[in-house]
Amino acid sequence: MSNKITINKKEINNKEINNIEIKNLTKKFGNFTAVDKINLTIKEGEIFGFLGPNGAGKTTTISMLTTLIRPTSGTAIIAGHDMLTEDVDVRSIIGVVPQSFSLFAELTAQENLEYIGKLYGMSTNSIKDRSEYLLKQVALYEHRDRIAGVFSGGMKQRLSLAASIMSNPKILFMDEPTTGLDPQSRIAIRELTEQLNSEGMTIVYTTHDMEEADKICDRIVIMDQGKIIADGTSDQLKHLIMSGHLIEVRLGLEEKRDMHNVIQELKKLSFIKSVVYNKDVLNITVDTKVGTFYSISDFFHKKNIIIEEIQYKEPSLEDVFVHLTKKELRD
Amino acid sequence: MKPNEKIHRKEKIVDFRKIGAIIQKNFVVMTRDKVRLIPLLIFPIVMILVLGFTTGNSPKHISTAIVVYDDSVLSQEIQQEIANSQTFSIKHVVSTEDEARKLLDKGDVRVIIEIPSNVENDVNNNIPANIIVIVDESDSAIAGAANQGLNIIINSLSIRISQEKMQVYQQSVDMAAQRMAGYTNTQTAYYNSMTASTSNNIIAEKSVAASKNILDQYTNNLLLSIPPSSLLVIPHNDTVQIFMNNQTPQNTDQNFVAIESPVAPQIRAQASILQQSSALMGSAENSLAASSAVSTKSVQSDKKLQETYAQNVVQSLHTIKIFTHSKIENVLRPLVLTNKSAYGTNKRAIDFLIPSLIALTLFQGAVMGMGRAVAGEKRDGSLTRVFLTPTSNVTIISGTIIFYVLFELVRAAFLIFVAVMLFNTHIEGSILLIILILAIYVSISIAIGMIISSLVRTEQQFTSMAMLISLPTMFLAGAFFPVQAMPKVLQAIASVLPVTYGGEALRGVMIKGFSIGMIMAPLMVLLLFLVALLTIVILVFKRDIE
Repeated sequence: MSNKITINKKEINNKEINNIEIKNLTKKFGNFTAVDKINLTIKEGEIFGFLGPNGAGKTTTISMLTTLIRPTSGTAIIAGHDMLTEDVDVRSIIGVVPQSFSLFAELTAQENLEYIGKLYGMSTNSIKDRSEYLLKQVALYEHRDRIAGVFSGGMKQRLSLAASIMSNPKILFMDEPTTGLDPQSRIAIRELTEQLNSEGMTIVYTTHDMEEADKICDRIVIMDQGKIIADGTSDQLKHLIMSGHLIEVRLGLEEKRDMHNVIQELKKLSFIKSVVYNKDVLNITVDTKVGTFYSISDFFHKKNIIIEEIQYKEPSLEDVFVHLTKKELRD
Repeated sequence: MKPNEKIHRKEKIVDFRKIGAIIQKNFVVMTRDKVRLIPLLIFPIVMILVLGFTTGNSPKHISTAIVVYDDSVLSQEIQQEIANSQTFSIKHVVSTEDEARKLLDKGDVRVIIEIPSNVENDVNNNIPANIIVIVDESDSAIAGAANQGLNIIINSLSIRISQEKMQVYQQSVDMAAQRMAGYTNTQTAYYNSMTASTSNNIIAEKSVAASKNILDQYTNNLLLSIPPSSLLVIPHNDTVQIFMNNQTPQNTDQNFVAIESPVAPQIRAQASILQQSSALMGSAENSLAASSAVSTKSVQSDKKLQETYAQNVVQSLHTIKIFTHSKIENVLRPLVLTNKSAYGTNKRAIDFLIPSLIALTLFQGAVMGMGRAVAGEKRDGSLTRVFLTPTSNVTIISGTIIFYVLFELVRAAFLIFVAVMLFNTHIEGSILLIILILAIYVSISIAIGMIISSLVRTEQQFTSMAMLISLPTMFLAGAFFPVQAMPKVLQAIASVLPVTYGGEALRGVMIKGFSIGMIMAPLMVLLLFLVALLTIVILVFKRDIE
């Protein structure tokens, strides 16, 4: 009887509580604050993206959520388990695809999966079935008896993904899983991720590839310097800067010219909301499309600056990021 | 950069600026990693200190038990010499070898010296006396030092004893010579006195002959003076009576009147001569008797002296004979050092080296293995992957330790196999006990490796730290250099190294055939190490991969 009640309770908990609830999560390394008081809720069944440049605090956040490092303060409740006090429970229900290969180069693909399966306490039979299934899923079944050390980057990453989902976790953390991979491998990983999600797995995905996040993430937070600077769906984030229209201008600058004053003057024009520039490319947000092209052309003409190209542009997440942080993503 | 400046200059074979840049880069790379750099810098200092103090010294004050079967003056003298030496420190004086061997087994003493019974008698009789030294050959440095030290003592004692003996010999020879001289003198004196006595006799004979002559003369004269027929005149009160023709006078006093014969004066004169002659004869007789007495006395006393001298000479000759009959090397080496191995006589250096070698090899292997198993897997992330599974630290640590224990046991088996096959080493003790010791010992080594790997971030740092621990261990373990010869500080360090106790326990079982009870002391120390180090491992082994 008591057993049944417990099970019921658990079911209720799982239904009622969001999969991940991050509370004031902070990590400091000495004087450096890698993650600064993050508050966040990740819902069950989402593909949730952490977006941001290198050093933004994405990996540190993932490492804390996956119990690899302890936070300086704050905590997170993962599927009803406090990651600080119930770290073993957390580990048994999550899967992690780490940034690096993190498998045993001396073992074959099959042996790696079997080893991980055993560490999850799976039975021999389920290990056999699951590894066969997963090896087929990641298209490594043919290579199952080759040692992982000789695999290509894409194969390694697929094997890593297979190892991460050996235990069929409820939540899968993927830390920049496509970084450094060729386009085909990226697509393969992305497709597998979407498939897993469609089977009900919650995915927490970090990337610095805006396009990728845009494509697969249901919800995205943008991190910079340890803080969340934006939170929402791809469209919601884009709408942050969609209160106007975006014009991209490429200038033909003959030599280095002090653009600072030019930009300051440009900003004084009434219809311009903001200007972000990088070398000879300007991203200008404007109120209205009426007369804008002419006004901008006229402005630069008077300054004796040639416009090589001028066009309207749909904002990308990168634009959102640039807009929010006033800096380029890949710096 | 100026617009016209060329980037691609001609490549020089030796470009000092670039060499400088490379040097600078390497310097910066090296100095950034303090955890790796500091051990690298400390390492040579440690090596020179350890090697400087470990080599070239021989052990001093070796704990020693003396077995005394003889309480003679010489025996005490030998004990005193041993006590005075720097090499030995007498901890126990016992009366049987068994007692001493128990002390050796317990490790209370490292050397047994036996002074045999009859040592003094044997030495006096020029029979070489065996001083026995029993050493634990597994402790080759101690064994060597003990042998050497005792050799010096025995040699110096031998030299002294044989010098004393030679002195006695010299004295005997001198005395014999003296006595021979005395004997010769007496002989001469005897001869002289004999000669003297003979001349006295000759004189006496001569005087007797002279007297006889005189007497003969007188008798002739007297016979001549008496006429063939004569009156018989007998003076009344005269002393001279004359008897003629054998007639015996009767009642002469009354019947005859004394008439002085005309020849009376002549007779008186003759009588006087007779008297004189008689006196001469007496004196001659006396002289002869005296001479004879002197002679006899002289001969008697000479004979006695001669006897005494002859005895002395015989004695001297006997002493000399003893010397001449004993072998000269026995005289020169009254004490002989016999070396016995405490545990079997067929053990060679290699046999004793093997336990130490196993202890060292396994320590190195186990510690260094952790470089790959923990530091390396941390670096390549495979340990991280394990951390991500619901697997406890204790499980991870246990799995790692058990594997490496098995692995190192296999390595030990290889080592022992080679030793048995190639060097004919004989394993005396129980294999199970050896495995038990190795398992505990390897676990300790692994724990040390794990602690180091928990303190470092990279495999390079690990290697650097591990070297700092494992190489001094090699030298302080006593396998290659005697710990007893080292300064107290290094001895103290050696006494807290697991390898010291691992080696001791292994030697005990493998070479001396000790049972578990006999290696309890090192085994307990090893267990204490194990418990303490495993506790530390569990405390420092963090999942935190910062």
